[in-house]
Amino acid sequence: MQRPLNSTEQPGTETTGKKLHPNASLYMDRSWHEELNDRIQRNGPWDDWSIFQLAVEASQATLVTSFEELQCLRVLPAFEPMEHQVGTARKVLHEMGGRAILADEVGLGKTIEAGLVLKEYMVRGLVRKALILVPASLVLQWVRELNSKFGISAVAQKKEHTWQYDVVVASMDTAKRDPHRSILLDQDYDMLIIDEAHKLKNRKTTNYQFVGKLRKKYCLLLTATPVQNNMDELYNLITLLKPGQLGGQSDFSANYVVDKRIPKNEDRLQEALSQVMIRNRRGDGGIHFTKRIVKNIIVELSEEEQELYHAVTAFVKERYDESGGDMTSMLSLVTLQREVCSSRDAVFITLVNMFKKMPEESPMRAKVWELVEVIRKIKANSKAEKALELIRSIDDKVILFTEYRATQEHLLQFFKSHDLTAVPYRGGMNRGKKDWMMDLFKGRAQVLIATEAGGEGINLQFCHHMINFDLPWNPMRVEQRIGRVHRLGQKNDVKIYNLCTKGTIEEHIVSLLHEKINLFELVIGELDHILERFEKEELPLEQRLAKLMLESSGEAELQSELETLGSSLNRLRSEAGSSPEHGAPLSALLDNLGDSVEVRP
Amino acid sequence: MNNRQIHKFVERYLEATGCGILEKSPSHFMVKLSPAADRELTGRPYYWSFVDRTGAEPETMSFLFVTDRDKYDAAEAKAAEKEHSFVSAPPGGVEAALGRSFGHIHGSLNAVRMPREDLYFGSRRLDQLFQAVRSGGQFVCLFQEPESRKPHPLESVPYTPWLGVNIRVGFECDRKREELHSYGISLATGVCVEQFYDRLLKLKMTPRLPANIHIARSSLTITKAAGMIEQQLERKLKSYDYSWAEEAAARLDDELERIQLYYEPLIAGAEDEEQHAAITAQYANRQDEIRWQLSPRVTASAINCGIFHLAGID
Repeated sequence: MQRPLNSTEQPGTETTGKKLHPNASLYMDRSWHEELNDRIQRNGPWDDWSIFQLAVEASQATLVTSFEELQCLRVLPAFEPMEHQVGTARKVLHEMGGRAILADEVGLGKTIEAGLVLKEYMVRGLVRKALILVPASLVLQWVRELNSKFGISAVAQKKEHTWQYDVVVASMDTAKRDPHRSILLDQDYDMLIIDEAHKLKNRKTTNYQFVGKLRKKYCLLLTATPVQNNMDELYNLITLLKPGQLGGQSDFSANYVVDKRIPKNEDRLQEALSQVMIRNRRGDGGIHFTKRIVKNIIVELSEEEQELYHAVTAFVKERYDESGGDMTSMLSLVTLQREVCSSRDAVFITLVNMFKKMPEESPMRAKVWELVEVIRKIKANSKAEKALELIRSIDDKVILFTEYRATQEHLLQFFKSHDLTAVPYRGGMNRGKKDWMMDLFKGRAQVLIATEAGGEGINLQFCHHMINFDLPWNPMRVEQRIGRVHRLGQKNDVKIYNLCTKGTIEEHIVSLLHEKINLFELVIGELDHILERFEKEELPLEQRLAKLMLESSGEAELQSELETLGSSLNRLRSEAGSSPEHGAPLSALLDNLGDSVEVRP
Repeated sequence: MNNRQIHKFVERYLEATGCGILEKSPSHFMVKLSPAADRELTGRPYYWSFVDRTGAEPETMSFLFVTDRDKYDAAEAKAAEKEHSFVSAPPGGVEAALGRSFGHIHGSLNAVRMPREDLYFGSRRLDQLFQAVRSGGQFVCLFQEPESRKPHPLESVPYTPWLGVNIRVGFECDRKREELHSYGISLATGVCVEQFYDRLLKLKMTPRLPANIHIARSSLTITKAAGMIEQQLERKLKSYDYSWAEEAAARLDDELERIQLYYEPLIAGAEDEEQHAAITAQYANRQDEIRWQLSPRVTASAINCGIFHLAGID
């Protein structure tokens, strides 16, 4: 009785089985006989009668009384899943036997659906051991979601012994390598969940073969793009989950494929797919999200600020030429140049730090000092003044993002001196302080000045004005910023203001991100695709930009280089937009595998 | 379980384990755990092994258990408001200075740490309580308390020993449903009854042997009696509807056939021994997985059991 007969073990490992029905045998746990006899022999120890009664009540309370009703909904008082998510979980549990591909479009909550299914099986005692394989960057996010939303004690895999835990989240790259690989292949997993499963589209890869070898009872594969290039990918994915569902490889080609992206016998294919795959997508008619309205605000630099910008640009360029084109040490210099567009304080701090690090006799010290002298001449921050003016005209809650701590401090001071209440928010704050700042912002502060957009818990649906005081060069981070405000639950159109200093690199960046990628108005999730494609061919965009800037000999060259970069991004964008399933017969077919969800804010 | 039931459950647990309830309302308990409860709930095996080995005086933890979040928070907010309206003067200069150097200090420095735990159905702490009572309430040996009338000093009341067991029955395939069954069997006569637990709840039970009783001799061993309960349960379960198992078996056959169609040509077309072996192994694995997932089965396991001495000869 210490260990009740484990329902998640494979049948056959239990000792006795008596036929109750041609299809069902009874397995009796008899471990308690011995223990009871033992205690009678020794006349104890005996347990307490009230505890005994409480044990019965606990068992009654947790009893799974029906095959159908979702038990997990009773135990998730902390959040309310959306209708299509519950519907999907039901379908996976009742019609698919716990093996499915969840292929919802981005943003509809595949994680939630997987969590519901996992929780339900756990509540029913059908799953104890679960393995969740995700890209390394998502491990912690998964752990957090499972813990906070579902009360599932999931742990992130760190050391070898972590594998002993019941629910482990790990990165695919770690899991498939020894010694981990052999540990995992030695276990029986009641449930396996794989996020970003489109990475398993090629059956020749080690990932694919590894997953094929894992022993699992239930299995969920999550992907927003079940087909990227051709139908074989879909075949491979489904074969991994349920071999034979689409027949052998040659049957599949013969029965269902005309060309790599064109299916035939659509009805039959759809029927076969619908047994293993669910794909909800955003409704076409309804409001998905509120609109994003972007406004670029050009800031004219004062003469002194201009001077600093040029001085810094010259300084940076000089250093770069001296170094002979070595990029690694140059990134901090590029930062310097970007900081000029933000505030003199930011530049100053960086210069001071540089100065400190230089050997005393370095001739560079004098040059740095010259720059500091230029800073000294600057009396006002044109951008900050513009921001103040803008915030006053908005007359509503505003979140302002900057990349730099020094700018953040400066703005806090500056706003304060103009009787504008603002509170800071940054990554280094502990949880409590962050919550406190959030409360203040919800309450009486008009402005939140944030240096970090990532991280959980900064959900600002109540605010629909955001100012990019300066722009990160990494578009994902821009998207993250916007995502804080523009998310489910936002009731208003989101107004995004980009402050950009005229005649500086910033102007180019804004035009690149805004006009070429149309970053600010992309559908959520689309940016991932563009960048994924871009980075296949190139350095990450940030680094690409830095290189471009340092290497160009003059304004005209920079302009034309940026133009080229812009059009290549633009090309990727139109590819990304057209290639996954827009209008193609295959996509129409996939789209029939679920509901259209009107995600109303 | 609703909030009230949870509240009641927690209260009975705290009382049964001898915890010190410092403060309570219908929506919360402030409690200093007893050593027994602390061992079960706080997850401090090292601390307790230290206490056990050194014989040090144990310091148990205190908790604020909230059984109704909404009500508790509302009450707290109200209380805070009231307090607020009384306190008008700003905090004293000394405290403010201390606050500046040490950060905000809450009350006295020696205040007992009292972490808050919300106990709602599905919360971890409540699950833990469930676990604790399940492992701590498995085997009992009890006597029915005699009627309060003074018995004749020389008169002895006959008692019958019963084996009682609460059983959780699971009907499982890739899905699952459960039932609770409670059986009692007289060790003297072999009479077997259902819903035995309900009968026990109507009686007053005590772990102490009452005066002036004599206990009928057992004619059955525990193993024998348990076997009879098993048979009784089996008979009952045989009369159930098994369409769910038929459906699961059909699904199982379907799936097995599907992978057979997939693997057999692959195995036949294998190019060499090695490939043949690999595919065969994979096929066997898949079959195992599918059986594991879909095989219909009924499981029965005891939640708890005990020997119950009841008045009368049955």
